[in-house]
Amino acid sequence: MSSTSQHLLLSPAELAYLHGSLSLTTPGPIRPDGRAPAQFRPLTAETGILPGTNGSARICFADGTEAVVGVKAEVEKTPVSPYEFVASTEGRKDHSTSIPQKKKGRKSKKPTEDEETTMDVDDEDDDEEEAGDGSAAVEKVRGSPDWVELSVEIPGLRDDDSGTVFLTSMLTEALLADGEFVKKLWINRRFHWKLYLDIILISPPLSYPLPLLSLTTHLALLATRLPRLKSEADEDPMFDDDWAAATFLYPRQDTSSGKASNKSKQSSAAAAAAAPASRPPITLLVMAVGDNIIFDPSKEELAVADSAVAVSVAEGPSSESEPESDSIPATTTKRNLHLLSVRTIDPPSRLTPPGVPNSVNASAWGTMTAATPTTTTTPASANEGGAAKHPDARVTETEDVVGVWKAPRGGAKFAMLGAMVAKVLERGGVAEEVLDGLEGVDLG
Amino acid sequence: MPITILQPSLAPPPKPRHEDSHSDSEGGADLEGDIAMGRPAKRARTQDSSIMTPGEIITDDPQWMRGHGTYVIPGASSNTILSSVAGTLAKTNKLLSVRPLRARYTPEIGDLVVGRIVEVQAKRWRVDVGGTLLAQLPLSAINLPGGIQRRRTETDELQIRTFFSEGELLVAEVQQLYNDGAAVLHTRSLKYGKLRNGVFMSVTGTGGGGGGGVVRARRQAFTLDISGTDEVSGSEKIDVVLGVNGYIWISKHIEGEGAAAETSGPGITRIEESVGLNVYSSQNDIIPVDTMREIARVRGVITALVENGLRVDEEMVIKGYQEAVEMAKEERDSADTLWLGGERGKRLTKALVGR
Repeated sequence: MSSTSQHLLLSPAELAYLHGSLSLTTPGPIRPDGRAPAQFRPLTAETGILPGTNGSARICFADGTEAVVGVKAEVEKTPVSPYEFVASTEGRKDHSTSIPQKKKGRKSKKPTEDEETTMDVDDEDDDEEEAGDGSAAVEKVRGSPDWVELSVEIPGLRDDDSGTVFLTSMLTEALLADGEFVKKLWINRRFHWKLYLDIILISPPLSYPLPLLSLTTHLALLATRLPRLKSEADEDPMFDDDWAAATFLYPRQDTSSGKASNKSKQSSAAAAAAAPASRPPITLLVMAVGDNIIFDPSKEELAVADSAVAVSVAEGPSSESEPESDSIPATTTKRNLHLLSVRTIDPPSRLTPPGVPNSVNASAWGTMTAATPTTTTTPASANEGGAAKHPDARVTETEDVVGVWKAPRGGAKFAMLGAMVAKVLERGGVAEEVLDGLEGVDLG
Repeated sequence: MPITILQPSLAPPPKPRHEDSHSDSEGGADLEGDIAMGRPAKRARTQDSSIMTPGEIITDDPQWMRGHGTYVIPGASSNTILSSVAGTLAKTNKLLSVRPLRARYTPEIGDLVVGRIVEVQAKRWRVDVGGTLLAQLPLSAINLPGGIQRRRTETDELQIRTFFSEGELLVAEVQQLYNDGAAVLHTRSLKYGKLRNGVFMSVTGTGGGGGGGVVRARRQAFTLDISGTDEVSGSEKIDVVLGVNGYIWISKHIEGEGAAAETSGPGITRIEESVGLNVYSSQNDIIPVDTMREIARVRGVITALVENGLRVDEEMVIKGYQEAVEMAKEERDSADTLWLGGERGKRLTKALVGR
């Protein structure tokens, strides 16, 4: 849990109005800017803005918040554990590696720390070994969370501010959650790409920047290209100098660009083979007011949220892949979305001061002339004598009065959490639309 | 369609190509030096469209006088005039001044402003009015509840938070200015006071020369009749307070209350007989759904006006609102008739300007 942002100053009357209009049920919520509940603010997106990076993107919301993400890659040596055994080394011709290779029997040793997070090499190695085709395709691709370094910079906040740290960890978590992303960085057994993601919010945080940063990161990763690998297998990696031949980290499936389509046959091929149509994860900010579920809340909307949740979604392989335990059964859709993580966010509404009902507000009715209330809209105005006796009374523990703001208590309800996640993942739902929209951005 | 993704576009309309090549072919010395950036070398021709940046040399011709937004380097013998703000150049006879693209609000006596309390002190409040300095509102410059006329006592000072506390919004008038430009506000009229039953928004205020934003007008607060739209049952009205400082309050209209109330109503002398007893209430009335929707529509209209660089005043808001209602009637089928951003906002303002 983390608080969403710095102190937001809103008057209790504003909060009560916003909460009232957002929790309307009959015509649906009326958002202050007139958007539909699932509507995002229009955004301007472009990629390839930073020539020195492997991939970059910039997204600008209409309200002026703007983020830039740059992705840089460098080749790094993979520390190979002496206990590690890779099955296909037997069939390989080139033994350029000097790392001692252990016998198959040693594999049952206790895995090292690094291995715990990687994909487990399991018993089917035996079969592949027998097949002995020696190609890289059968090699086990693995990844480590250390291969991605992500930094978030929010103007006006220190980089060790809890909000920044929370944003960083949430975005990192979405990237690393299913372990598919780091596998794309695998070059060969001895080398891997190390990816540095620099996420910078340019504007002051006018609203909670999580969805903006996530969408920008998504776009930057879509646009990320890595030099084409020329060397084979476990050689020291050699790359094609021609940047035009560089391959996309996330190959486009059936776009017209020819340079992308042949990626799946090339470099570190197993990664591509594992997930031919996967997309980087996105994290969406969803909030609930009353029974309404609202996407992409602005700052003032978030200030009256009963609960707010960050839902990270990734797109798995498009077609009949193995059904994962937590994936939504989407057999016929073209997108196979699965849930990566759900994080509750502490909305700033909890820190807001409560409004004072007229019944206990000495100033609202005049200390002396309280006997003749002119408005009888509230039932609470009946017990007004009490206020006259205690003009100073600032009652914080009052029962709900219509039109008086009271900060929400307690966490999100389970049913509401489920509804919010379902709303993100549903077929033709918001996540799909967002992915479709981002896919349409020209990767120039 | 929950998400709209646009291609980035250049902010200013691009100048015709041939002009650039023409200025290149002139071959003369480039007076602007390294800051030319594809701008025509002769500024005089395109002075209205070009933007000066701080520190940029406007001229070194001794015939010009420097005005607002410019400076000369002291001690330097040359007559070079430089811009001190980012904005457009304006010439009045031989006076050069630069009108800033955007600026903070500079208070003037008599301005109607909307402000937010940010600090409560012993005998006064500090109010954010969007200026460079916080305005102050002394305890003695507010009406006591019930309209009682008396000296402010220590009891009042102790109860200062029951009148206004941090975060609360109020509408007030600038009563006095200090030398440093800080304003002193007062709310000694029934038109002024705490705000409720509505939403707040903030746009560019006066001071910006960019064209958009709230401008000083004869009437800053007015009532909008929304019963013209057939969806609205009853005769509901909306109050719009356009603070000169760019802070805007849109709320449900309550007869005899608020800044938009008729000035012929009860004056200061008859406060005690009036209905304004709940001036310090922070409890909202029950607001019909129709009114809420129309409030959101008005807010959308103002946002569209600002985004498209039009001024925000009574005339434009009322016209724009009528136009928005017409637009909503035309496309009754689509769900998001309330949303006035992006393409719809452009259509709205185009219809407004075209009239």
